[in-house]
Amino acid sequence: MATPTLEKQPAADTGHLVTVTFRIRRFDPERSADAYWQDFELRIDPKERVLDGLHQIKWEHDGSLTFRRSCAHGICGSDAMRINGKNRLACKVLIKDIADVKDGVGTKPVVIEAMKGMTVLKDLIVDMDPFFQAYRDMMPFLITSGNEPTRERRQSPRDRERFDDTTKCILCAACTSSCPVFWNDGQYFGPAAIVNAHRFIFDSRDEGGEQRLEILNDRDGVWRCRTIFNCTDACPRGIQVTKAIQEVKQALITRRF
Amino acid sequence: MAIDTNGSSPSGYGPDHPAPVIEPPRARTRRTPRTTRTNFEMYGWLFMRVSGILLVVLVITHLMIQLVLDGGVSKVSFAFVAGRWASPFWQAWDLIMLWLAMLHGGLGLRTIINDYAQRDGTRFWLKMLLYTATVFTVLLGTLVIFTFDPNIS
Amino acid sequence: MTTAMQIHKYDTVIVGAGGAGMRAAIEATKRSRTAVLTKLYPTRSHTGAAQGGMAAALANVEDDNWEWHTFDTVKGGDYLVDQDAAEILAKEAIDSVLDLEKMGLPFNRTPEGRIDQRRFGGHSRNHGEAPVRRSCYAADRTGHMILQTLYQNCVKEGVEFFNEFYVLDLLLNDVAGVRSTAGVVAYELATGELHVFQAKAVVFASGGNGKFYRVTSNAHTLTGDGQAAAFRRGLPLEDMEFFQFHPTGIWKMGILLTEGARGEGGILRNKDGERFMEKYAPVMKDLASRDVVSRSIYTEIREGRGCGPEGDHVYLDLTHLPPEQLDAKLPDITEFARTYLGIEPYTDPIPIQPTAHYAMGGIPTNVRGEVLANNTDVVPGLYAAGEVACVSVHGANRLGTNSLLDINVFGRRAGVAAAEYAATAGFVDLPEAPAQFVADEVERMRDATGNERVTEIRKALQDTMDKNAMVFRTEQTLKEALEEITALRSRYRNVSVQDKGRRYNTDLLEALELGNLLELAEVLVFSALARKESRGGHYREDYPNRDDVNFMRHTMAYRETDTEGNESIRLDYKPVVQTRYQPTERKY
Repeated sequence: MATPTLEKQPAADTGHLVTVTFRIRRFDPERSADAYWQDFELRIDPKERVLDGLHQIKWEHDGSLTFRRSCAHGICGSDAMRINGKNRLACKVLIKDIADVKDGVGTKPVVIEAMKGMTVLKDLIVDMDPFFQAYRDMMPFLITSGNEPTRERRQSPRDRERFDDTTKCILCAACTSSCPVFWNDGQYFGPAAIVNAHRFIFDSRDEGGEQRLEILNDRDGVWRCRTIFNCTDACPRGIQVTKAIQEVKQALITRRF
Repeated sequence: MAIDTNGSSPSGYGPDHPAPVIEPPRARTRRTPRTTRTNFEMYGWLFMRVSGILLVVLVITHLMIQLVLDGGVSKVSFAFVAGRWASPFWQAWDLIMLWLAMLHGGLGLRTIINDYAQRDGTRFWLKMLLYTATVFTVLLGTLVIFTFDPNIS
Repeated sequence: MTTAMQIHKYDTVIVGAGGAGMRAAIEATKRSRTAVLTKLYPTRSHTGAAQGGMAAALANVEDDNWEWHTFDTVKGGDYLVDQDAAEILAKEAIDSVLDLEKMGLPFNRTPEGRIDQRRFGGHSRNHGEAPVRRSCYAADRTGHMILQTLYQNCVKEGVEFFNEFYVLDLLLNDVAGVRSTAGVVAYELATGELHVFQAKAVVFASGGNGKFYRVTSNAHTLTGDGQAAAFRRGLPLEDMEFFQFHPTGIWKMGILLTEGARGEGGILRNKDGERFMEKYAPVMKDLASRDVVSRSIYTEIREGRGCGPEGDHVYLDLTHLPPEQLDAKLPDITEFARTYLGIEPYTDPIPIQPTAHYAMGGIPTNVRGEVLANNTDVVPGLYAAGEVACVSVHGANRLGTNSLLDINVFGRRAGVAAAEYAATAGFVDLPEAPAQFVADEVERMRDATGNERVTEIRKALQDTMDKNAMVFRTEQTLKEALEEITALRSRYRNVSVQDKGRRYNTDLLEALELGNLLELAEVLVFSALARKESRGGHYREDYPNRDDVNFMRHTMAYRETDTEGNESIRLDYKPVVQTRYQPTERKY
């Protein structure tokens, strides 16, 4: 006998499926210079993820629909996109939570487009290089001086807790590309870069905080933040992004006075 | 070997001639910006917060005196202004209010222009207009406060 | 018009930017001109999904030493482990953890400020006496922290990445009668161009191949590209029949719930609420090794004690643990339960089923990371590390936390060895028309007008693998799977893609990935058919016992092509290195 659970295939049991419209902003530079909206009607289990819906379209309707994805459960950060006007990971949003299903039909279309403020290269794929450049500009690595200890560096649980929130970042760019300041000025480092600077500035083992603060004190740094809270709302990891930025501002002010 | 089996689209774009992509404004470059090592941005940010708080006090008190207390707005006349500006205290009050309001408002508008002006040219000229207007208003206002002549006919 | 092509020259080329690839890159970049080719942005790799921890006998919280760790690894792998490699793994584990800490990894800490450790499946004190705290962890996102820390250090070292470059072929050329590494061919996703990377040394670190199962914790991108490229070039694949099924995947979805959940005190229960693991593993209970727990779960289900209306899952019960402990130690998996199942783990048990998790087998290497061309000879200049490789430190079943260890220990070793080799060796001439094979394949696929769809073939493959080659296997089910795969492979030749464009053609990429999966699934099933015994992750119901007389040896599978172009698989066997521990019956 084979592996048991899989013998009972839920054969033609499709009673739980609902009809949902996916409205997707398409762009293919090999076909046209203009982006356009395209609707797809799907029969799908409402407990499925938006990513499953995109896969259904790609695999069964239109193979040219292009998007990034990998882990499909919210830890790789590949599939950040704008879903119903908000930046979300497609693998962390369930259809039932956004399609407003009534009597087996989604009353609202699921509107999907690429993240804002970044160059769209094809459909939902954007150019991530400037985003990673801003991250690299933060010197996102432990900076220390003196001889290395033979064993581990000591750190109290309280010191470890101090920067725990910002270690969760998966660099999906949902926060940065939800920031109105960033939309209009791509040279603003953006929330993600600041979050990753925060992770080191507040790490008791790190000695490069001063250099990072210096960078963030400048024109494209934290002072551009206007506490709009879009980033905190967008973060799929639940990081208190705006709070982290405020903490960096506070560190800069207390450093000066 | 033909790749563009989907035929050349009516737009004339294809795998060999892709359409241009739309870049966002002011993309980050490969070069890390050099830090200026000054605190100008921080002082700017602090100025906006501190001046905001001061302006709340200054403006509300100003409005109360001008519009509500002692018979309200009907009392305001040339003589009333002349009487107020006879005192250096009120001169200073109005001067601070003028400067803070204009700088606070000007910086705020500059941010809005930065956010909403799409093209570099538009942004530059709108800011020039803003700076000109701000400087003009501040200078004119300051001039009036210090050279006000109550005996003018 | 042919596909455009560029040629690059690097001392060392690393394929893959997960844990093993980036660990190797950090070493190789210091010593040689290095390029890292990765089909994803580095921080997207599936190392980030690892949750539980990384084992090392630091003895920070209780008595421990690396010899016990070696024993646990050997026993966990059902004695199919090469013991010299396991010894290296356990010994170098300590420095690897300390190295990561010095690179900045934020481990959880003890009150004294040392790296905290917790219990994990199969890790025991003094050769199996009792569970031991050996797993160093950072909440339940240790893999995420490792991936981020390694990427951060790649940024620090200035590692040169080629992001979204998909390696499709390995180039070998004869040097004085020995097949040596000349480079790789990569497909640039953004432009559809082909790039030939000529290199003195190539390190494969391209990860696993679990996507031929449907219920799997593997990412969509884990399609065995490295294994398939080597296999197609006539290199062997070792122990492919051994695949690990993780006991606790979210029911139907396969998303991983860490073993750390049981390490923190979580309990598996059947529909009667019984703690059934007490029956199967009286000492280690819920923390027995993964193959044992997975089989126990399915035994419960088959004997009618599964939960739910279909009786097709069991529960992972965390409700007796204080919410503060769950928040501090297991925040991510409690969030998974909330997001994907709508379940509150504070008060309700989580439905789980075993999920395809990890390939123990892969490209055979020695302890320096050098790839073997047969039982004894290495391929000059070719290295492999991580899940793509088979050293073999995992034998027939990998212990939890040993994979994060594997990528760090052997990633580092492969990086050092590759760069040192590149420092002395010269470039091997590229074969004539180096990109021709890939160019033909890509263009054939893009221009094809066949009526077969990638989706349907992939689904059929996953269905047959789940049904016939998962936790329980028999001669009959494996034969059925093999027939099905052979049929699917011939259907695959008529596959066509819809996207005919060149930029970001992920449709084309998925078709190529399916080709790799089919290739490797066939090897798995073929090797499993020949192994007429049960050992670790490979369980044959028709041969339920371990057979050390006939099968205490590694399987080596080779692709053979006869003069008419017909492909077949040839199996050979390689002895297991045994040093200190004699095989005994494996009980937990």
